[in-house]
Amino acid sequence: MRKVSPTAGGARPAEAPVRRPGGRARGAGGVVSAGTCPTGSRQQEVAATGVQSACARRQMWSALDKMPAPATTYERIVYRNPSEHHYMKVCLEFEDHGVGLNVAQFKQLLISALKDLFGEVAAALPLDVLTYEEKTLSAILRICSSGLVKLWSSLTLLGSYKGKKCAFRVIQVSPFLLALSGNSRELVLD
Amino acid sequence: MVRFKHRYLLCEVVSDDPRCRLSLEDRALGGLIRDTIARVHGTFGAASCSIGFAVRYLNAYTGIVLLRCRKEFYQLVCSALPFITYLENKGHRYPCFLNTLHVGGTIRTCQKFLIRYNRRQLLILLQNCTDEGEREAIQKSVTKSCLLEERSDEEELSDSGGEEAAEAME
Repeated sequence: MRKVSPTAGGARPAEAPVRRPGGRARGAGGVVSAGTCPTGSRQQEVAATGVQSACARRQMWSALDKMPAPATTYERIVYRNPSEHHYMKVCLEFEDHGVGLNVAQFKQLLISALKDLFGEVAAALPLDVLTYEEKTLSAILRICSSGLVKLWSSLTLLGSYKGKKCAFRVIQVSPFLLALSGNSRELVLD
Repeated sequence: MVRFKHRYLLCEVVSDDPRCRLSLEDRALGGLIRDTIARVHGTFGAASCSIGFAVRYLNAYTGIVLLRCRKEFYQLVCSALPFITYLENKGHRYPCFLNTLHVGGTIRTCQKFLIRYNRRQLLILLQNCTDEGEREAIQKSVTKSCLLEERSDEEELSDSGGEEAAEAME
């Protein structure tokens, strides 16, 4: 972008407007900010003189024009959530005890909960039951991160299995499976 | 300003069977679409899409349907349309599918698109037609629509052109 910077010293009509690599505000003293000036020595030279003469400024501008563009390139890596899956530790509680489910029935229950609330599209989400304990009816589930909200809300709204009242208790949710190995809520003070 | 924004989906009912288009009814089609959304997107989809849902315009001759839905949930409706595979009328099932032509924010933009689309369809029909009588009828419709295009301040739905062409085809 071509711009003619205003100066306190009055007009220099013969000067051609100079291209700058980025917006740089120039005050009356003509001090150039550190990040944008290509060479340090030139900057010191400029900063040392309090009030600049027009001749020195002209020299500096012509020198900057002749210099090649700076060779620094920056690469920005944004590392948001690297995990594609979320892991949930859940436990199924029945109102009356003595109800047992094997792992296939458990998965069928999960899929039917998703299908009730969010339809065929959500029932087709890649959901995995990683571990299942039949005695305590607790399991570790894995779902892709985009489907976490759908799964959790459909578990919340699931009310019954084959006419018997039940509820899902969500114990832990984490994008990393390792985090499910320890639960600070289970720590007991001696 | 604060208002409910809508999206208008312009769709075409495509079918092998010529009786399918004639049996189009707005209430039956609306009910079918709602059932399909409930099947594909569940209770959540059915509830969110059916609040602002309406069949705004239906043309049985050309098979054009204009649906309205809320702007926040129009993608649920759009994604459920390919799951419609048949139309049911008086116990007869006609296999068909819905082709989405245009999504617009107002009825007026959909109408403008429909006029341009119908003009292009007339030209395609003119190329493909075999019978001389049909050819004359279509040419008459094409010249009529060109005259209307020249008179640019007049806006008209090109239903009449489409109807003539459809009648000439059948």
